[in-house]
Amino acid sequence: MSDSLGENSPVMTRSPEGPSAAGDGARRAPSPAGRPRRGGTDWRKRFEVALLTGPAIIIFVTFVILPVGMAAYYGFYKWKGYGPPTDFVGLQNYVTIFKDSSFHEALQHNGMIVVLSLIIQGPVAVVMALLINQKMRGRSLLRVLIFVPYVISEVIVGTGWSLMLQTSGAVNDVLTKIGLPGWTVDWLSDPHVAIWSLMLIISWKYIGFAVILFLAGLQGIPEEVFEAASIDGASYWQAQRHITLPLLGPTIRIWAFLSIIGSLQLFDLVYIIWGQYVASTAGTSTMATYMVLNGRNAANYGFGNAVAVVLFLISLVIALTYQRFVLRRDTEGALTEGKK
Amino acid sequence: MNGRKILAATAALTMVALGLTACSGSKSGGGSSSSGPVDMTLWTNATTGEGKAFWEATVADFEAANPGVKITIQTVQNEDMDGKLQTALNSGDAPDIFMARGGGKLEAVVKAGQAQEIIVDDATKAAVGDAALTAFTVDGKVYGMPMSILPGGIYYSKDLFKQAGITGTPSTMADLEADVQKLKDAKIAPIALGAKDAWPAAHWYYFFALRECSQDTLKKAIADKKFDDKCWTKAGDDLAAFSKTVPFNNGFLTTSAQQGAGSSAGLLANHQAAMELMGAWDPGVIASLTPDTKPLADLGWFPFPAIDGGKGEAGAMMGGLDGNSCSKAAPAECSKFLNFTMQKKYQEDYANAFHTLPASKDAQGVVTEPALTDVLASYNKAPYVSLWLDTLYGQNVGNALNSGVVDLLAGKGDPAAIVKGVTDAAAKE
Repeated sequence: MSDSLGENSPVMTRSPEGPSAAGDGARRAPSPAGRPRRGGTDWRKRFEVALLTGPAIIIFVTFVILPVGMAAYYGFYKWKGYGPPTDFVGLQNYVTIFKDSSFHEALQHNGMIVVLSLIIQGPVAVVMALLINQKMRGRSLLRVLIFVPYVISEVIVGTGWSLMLQTSGAVNDVLTKIGLPGWTVDWLSDPHVAIWSLMLIISWKYIGFAVILFLAGLQGIPEEVFEAASIDGASYWQAQRHITLPLLGPTIRIWAFLSIIGSLQLFDLVYIIWGQYVASTAGTSTMATYMVLNGRNAANYGFGNAVAVVLFLISLVIALTYQRFVLRRDTEGALTEGKK
Repeated sequence: MNGRKILAATAALTMVALGLTACSGSKSGGGSSSSGPVDMTLWTNATTGEGKAFWEATVADFEAANPGVKITIQTVQNEDMDGKLQTALNSGDAPDIFMARGGGKLEAVVKAGQAQEIIVDDATKAAVGDAALTAFTVDGKVYGMPMSILPGGIYYSKDLFKQAGITGTPSTMADLEADVQKLKDAKIAPIALGAKDAWPAAHWYYFFALRECSQDTLKKAIADKKFDDKCWTKAGDDLAAFSKTVPFNNGFLTTSAQQGAGSSAGLLANHQAAMELMGAWDPGVIASLTPDTKPLADLGWFPFPAIDGGKGEAGAMMGGLDGNSCSKAAPAECSKFLNFTMQKKYQEDYANAFHTLPASKDAQGVVTEPALTDVLASYNKAPYVSLWLDTLYGQNVGNALNSGVVDLLAGKGDPAAIVKGVTDAAAKE
């Protein structure tokens, strides 16, 4: 959603139509429609656009905008979830959230997951993408293997890993049997270890997505550039450093954006592996699990909605900031001057 | 694509969109007997085995005795029940008959006008007795029918106790701690605890509170939700001290209560741990998790140990009741069905299917499993029986108690933090 918001803004200012009087729908019109036509066809075109975008807008408003608005509304009430809310408390729910130390912890965990995801997955995925971009035997098999975890449902991944990482689970069992009983730890419940177990699982699961994105990005780099570089005497590593990485930049920045948003909203894996209560003691709680624990499980729906609003605003601010300062040069460049 | 095609496609899409946005509940009903065919839905947490079979058979008998009535059974995993039920009640698409456990949780549903008074017939009233019905009574009206009484206590494996050289069952905390040590010496995990689900861990705190706090203190907190009596902190101290002796199974924080062989009930069922503090549903859960899915032959039971200087009366018990309620829009047949299930035959079947204690006194003769007869004997002697504290004080306090106790056992919080957590939770309500 925030994706399309950001992409719109440059399109708006540079639209060949100029400051047209057309409604929101016109800005979203596909590029062929952007060619201005004369006279009577104008209203007809607008009508078509309205008709074509109408259903999508209705669904978007009903299932995205309206719930966000409702959540904001409920967040001002103490509400047990039955019937219409009546007990208006103003901003008190928000005060409670920002004073709650378990929310601070959840926020901190989200921050860690955002940063660690970027610095663990990013470099590894780039290297992997470079590797399997080479012509070699079994390349497609490798690609599939790397991508498979991303396709498996979170519930299955969570259940599988949690069974393996149990204190008496397979991982500790194997460690003991190969003569490393000192290496066995409480992978899931030790607060010093649990967040790293989570990072391991997240990296394993989502790295395939990064690799596929980067591979697609690599396909878009013209062969000629490398030929020119090798004629100029660039080594393989120099070529990667000075050609591949810069030209892969837009892809990396988009991936980072998706990764950040995903990390902020992380819920399912934590909920499946740690359950409803242990996440906060194991140091893996996130804003989303905090919301479910204190909203749904406690049946404090007003409070839970307020948490949802906070989560939404934090994600929105981060997304907009990222688009404003990091992604802008990609979108601008793509539209006007070609690659920088 | 020509203009007409575009128009047609758009119209179709718009219809879909409107259809989606306009799907609101249009369920009719409303507590009155209708002459035509009656459809009802029933939500139960018996997802497998004998329990599921019991409901299927009972519903079939009821349908045969009441032509035109049809009941659809939907099973919901126990841990999902509270959340799903709340969503369903809110959406106006509630099940007609749903599982309820009385206390503060049911009261919240009743106060929201989502439950219907149940007309309890005289035969049922006599068989169940006032005590069990009280838990389902709000403002003098009965809103739920108790199916079984589920007092809590410690289940244990007689074989493992013997193996560790333990004779007799512990009656004080000192005895229990000594037995824990003996079991550890024999390389047996002493107590299985499914702390991942939190409520089994919270039960330990509840029982310490039951021993430390007087009945009046427990009752007083229902109304004012204040936990400032010293006994609440003392119960936390007791639990912290006990937890220091490392009595629980390895990795109890990520052990669930009832799902699979690795759960706490599964550990007991497979002789991987010697004890578990649970309600009277446990023999049934354990039976479903033994290798041959038969009841555990050496399963025994003893009441929660006494504590020196506690204000709770000796022999007091804590437990829950499993029952069913009718939602506000349910037809009158709902009450009829709930009374139907309370007949001696069905109560006996229920007790057999769930390996538990039936609410109807007429049917209690059917209980023969040794662990359960011990529970029943203690229950009938108990000076009073409190509801589980989370059921008693409602979902919000229960949730805060769950979190606080798990924190304490994980070594993150202290006893005072449990009480503080409950007070903090009041701000979110």
